[in-house]
Amino acid sequence: MSNRVLCKFFKHGACLKGEHCEYAHDWNTPANNTCTFYQRGACAYGSRCRYDHVKVSHLQSSASSSSTAFIRNETPGVTTSGVAPVSQVSSVQQELSPSTTQFHPPNKAAWNQQSGISDTAEDDLIPQPKSDRLVDQVICSFAAAGNCPKGEKCPHIHGDLCPTCGKHCLHPFRPKEREEHFQTCEKMQKHLEALKRSQEIECSVCLERVLTKPAASERKFGLLSECDHPFCITCIRNWRNSSPSSGMDVNSTLRACPICRKLSYFVIPSVLWYFSKEEKDEIVDSYMARLKSIDCKYFDFGSGSCPFGTSCFYKHAYRDGSVEEVVLRHLGAADGETIIAKNISLADFLRNLHIS
Amino acid sequence: MVDFSRVQKELQECNKDVKISGISVKPKADSLSHLIGTIPGPVDSPYEGGTFLIDIVLLDGYPFEPPKMKFLTKVWHPNISSQSGAICLDILKDQWSPALTLKTALVSIQALLSAPEPDDPQDAVVAQQYLRDYQTFVGTARYWTEAFAKTSSHGMDEKVQRLVEMGFPEALTRSTLEVVGGDETLALEKLCSN
Repeated sequence: MSNRVLCKFFKHGACLKGEHCEYAHDWNTPANNTCTFYQRGACAYGSRCRYDHVKVSHLQSSASSSSTAFIRNETPGVTTSGVAPVSQVSSVQQELSPSTTQFHPPNKAAWNQQSGISDTAEDDLIPQPKSDRLVDQVICSFAAAGNCPKGEKCPHIHGDLCPTCGKHCLHPFRPKEREEHFQTCEKMQKHLEALKRSQEIECSVCLERVLTKPAASERKFGLLSECDHPFCITCIRNWRNSSPSSGMDVNSTLRACPICRKLSYFVIPSVLWYFSKEEKDEIVDSYMARLKSIDCKYFDFGSGSCPFGTSCFYKHAYRDGSVEEVVLRHLGAADGETIIAKNISLADFLRNLHIS
Repeated sequence: MVDFSRVQKELQECNKDVKISGISVKPKADSLSHLIGTIPGPVDSPYEGGTFLIDIVLLDGYPFEPPKMKFLTKVWHPNISSQSGAICLDILKDQWSPALTLKTALVSIQALLSAPEPDDPQDAVVAQQYLRDYQTFVGTARYWTEAFAKTSSHGMDEKVQRLVEMGFPEALTRSTLEVVGGDETLALEKLCSN
């Protein structure tokens, strides 16, 4: 019985049940990607459907098993009759069970069968929902999202209020999850605040607010390494790439900040603007780290040669994974200074050759 | 492509404090890529009291390319050609920066008027005179300001007067004259075609 299908909420990064979810929170498990509409006979999306249009018989069985697991969770008393239920719950069970037997006799039989199996097999990999434990109770997703229409009458427990995001999404009995939520929530909040402050920043070239530009790709800052003047990435790249035909010198004018004329050798794209040196360093460092993880296309795993050599921002690694080791050849010049010799190529000699 | 939204913003920004700076920029015709800038002659200079018109053409690369600027009003200045009105100013050439605006460029030109650079001249004759006989230079510059930078406004009133007498409303006449740069015949044509 492999009902450990990948949780679709987890897939989108928002499963409220956390580790108590009956679906797998593990990227290695196969996702149930079959189209349910297709199974029933008609999918309006046809060939454009993002789910698989396959009719497989064993998938139906897994689907039915997962649905029974869900129903079992909904009506707790039925399965947990052997685990000393709370009196209230058992009364609910008594009320419920006749009706279930009356309307869905085959279903009930199936549960009894299944629960019998899982009770005997203790090392079963599938965690059975034990709803009598407070830890396993699911918090109300409506309350977690902001507002539960049922209010006090809601059958699910309502989470505690998170002071940062202001939502009732803290599970009262899962301290680890609370801690996790606090951390991610704080991070999100910081990000949001930074974004809010960045909204105000104008590009000094196009005079527009960078984060309100029409094209999404343009809503980015271009940070200069040596000064703190704000530009949008398109403007600063345009300026640095403008053709020197206009008489401007590439190395002294175009590489300089348009405002303070300080030379910067590279531009860092960033969605956020920074308000302290630490924030800037963080943005720059993460950008550099990201580039360092990408293989350099010039180096091409050792078969090409990169014109940037040791100063290249990209990764210089061979196919076996070993990183390029750089050997610099130091030569003593006549005046006593040390110079670093470049690789000598034939073109260097040919360039200096004068054919008379 | 000229970034017209930026040009639009620049015009608004510049015309906001026109009363303080005296510097204004207006489109010459319907296109925003051909403009007319106006700067008052700086005080304590031979150009004091004059109003100088500057022809501004925005190239396709603006603001990544400097705007092409030249004097429409005749000026006697070592760094401005007395014949063509061409301006010798580094920020209009290789020292341009996209963070500069039409207004800052006009302010720089105004500063150039009060602080000539005779060692890097545009008009050699004026520069020679500036270096050899400063008093004559000041006299000529003052005379040119009187003769060319002041008449346009006096002349304007007379032109408006004449056109009003032909039966056009005064406000419209004035704005039309401004648009065509003070050319009476052009203004008349435009008024008639409306």
